[in-house]
Amino acid sequence: MVDQALLVLRIGVLVLLYLFVWRIARTAIRDVRGAQESMIIRPGQGFDPLPMADERPADPMAEPPAPGRLLVVESDVLPAGAAVLLEEHEVLIGRDPHAAAMLEGDGFVSARHAIVRVRGTATSIVDLGSTNGTYVNGDRIAIETRLSPGDEVAVGSTRMIFEPGG
Amino acid sequence: MISERGILDLPSRNRELGLIALAVLITTAGFAAVQLARAEEFSSSPLVAALLFAFAYFVAHAVVRVVLPDADPYVLPITAVLTAIGLIEIYRISPELARDQGIWMLLGLGLFVAVVIAFRDIRRLEELKYTCGAVAVGLLLLTITLGASVNGARLWIRIGGLQIQPGEFAKILLVIFLAGYLRERREVLAAPTRRVLGVGIPALRHALPLLLLCGISLVLLVAMNDLGSSLLFYVIALAMIYIATGRLLYVGAGLGLFALGALGAVQLTSHVQSRIEGWLDPWAVEQTSGYQIAQSIYTIADGGVLGAGFGRGLILNSAGGTIIPYAQTDFIYSVIANEMGLVGAVAVVLLYLLLAWRGFRIATSADDGFSKLLAAGLATTIAVQVFVIVGGVIRLLPLTGLTLPFVSYGGSSVTANFAIAGLLLCISQRANRERPL
Repeated sequence: MVDQALLVLRIGVLVLLYLFVWRIARTAIRDVRGAQESMIIRPGQGFDPLPMADERPADPMAEPPAPGRLLVVESDVLPAGAAVLLEEHEVLIGRDPHAAAMLEGDGFVSARHAIVRVRGTATSIVDLGSTNGTYVNGDRIAIETRLSPGDEVAVGSTRMIFEPGG
Repeated sequence: MISERGILDLPSRNRELGLIALAVLITTAGFAAVQLARAEEFSSSPLVAALLFAFAYFVAHAVVRVVLPDADPYVLPITAVLTAIGLIEIYRISPELARDQGIWMLLGLGLFVAVVIAFRDIRRLEELKYTCGAVAVGLLLLTITLGASVNGARLWIRIGGLQIQPGEFAKILLVIFLAGYLRERREVLAAPTRRVLGVGIPALRHALPLLLLCGISLVLLVAMNDLGSSLLFYVIALAMIYIATGRLLYVGAGLGLFALGALGAVQLTSHVQSRIEGWLDPWAVEQTSGYQIAQSIYTIADGGVLGAGFGRGLILNSAGGTIIPYAQTDFIYSVIANEMGLVGAVAVVLLYLLLAWRGFRIATSADDGFSKLLAAGLATTIAVQVFVIVGGVIRLLPLTGLTLPFVSYGGSSVTANFAIAGLLLCISQRANRERPL
């Protein structure tokens, strides 16, 4: 009796253990199929310290600088010539209804696809783990990438040119 | 922006809760099996222990749900299963030791909750980097001066009736220091200022504090005669420098220095020599320096594929001691392999693999350099530690005494590892949170 019970418990623990491993491992398998990112950070590729919660208040007398923008040159879902104004510190690109660059209807765009970050005069773009990737000048980006004037950003069918503000 | 999601409507937290429930089932079945094998009859005591385990983890989960709603859902459940396996096998060795380990698990979860609440904004920790570095060195110095020597290694300090192993905490503090320091200096460390034999070398004054700190740690550890920690500290520092700079030069130079150091250690110290002897041919020195490792190999082989079963393995000798000396700490993996077999032992390694993967995943998704370096450093710490100690007990590597994270018996080790889990969750919260739009 005791031996049978022990056998059942022993097999039970092993089965539960592998069930547990499997439930986590299947997300790992999905993860590996997706975009490969690198955690090695090389200089000049962003990752500077983020500003602490409250940033320095802007000089109220100063003229606010014109925001930068992303000018649409080609898209299945937005008219060519449309502009996405980079007015916020973080501008979301995706199918999400709250996204500043709302690309609803493009099946190759994730809901939260990429974010354009504006910090002072520096603008960068980071992919949010999208399925089909974010491209800067034709290269799929793996990590946060600094945008220079005239850089072409491609998300799904939409191609946009970055124009800095100032 | 404060999210308007309800406290119950959090997919990743619900997933975490489901996995913790599975971990509780494993714990209950394991405790019941050991108790049954010991007493040959059913009793309610393992159920009480499992309930306590479940309660502690559900409290920790509830705190995470409130404080870090978007944090990684896998880290906490993985620690639960690993802790459960450790508790089951320690209970099998001795109920008294298991009771102590249970108390340390509760303390560990308490520290986890404290870390989660204190560092929910992980950037607060970056400001403390120099304090962490200083405290780490201080702890190691304290161990050398006040330390008690156990088996030739000076690792412990006694406070009242408690034995504390400060090295376990110094390890984490050092990773925090390195993450903060490297985030600040990586530009200058990666940029060569002059070339020697065609290889770019960074300015010495930038690298000096780093080299100094590594040097101090190593000297301290050699003075403590603790090979395992010495190796661990060195590999962590090397890995983090590589992650910060992306330059293989540092890795190459580091490994070269390591080879030299290892050769020197073999020549100079009998301690290292006996470890190497026991590794190369334990049966030639079976009654002396190879005794532990030989017993470990017998124990693992005895387990076979499916194991001897909980409570049925040949773990204790007739006097009531363990057949392998220090089975509950350094050699807990051999005990697991004996009772749960190859299948169970592989599952344990898979669990660590998943834990390390979550750590590196958190590092890749973090969006600032400090978080990236910290997560990668902590994941490396766990991965290297498991590799070195499991490699040691299965005779892949020379044996160095390290604990198996979350599984080995020991208060300092258990609580320190729960602090690592807490830090990983804090970093992942920042990376996964709903970004303000």
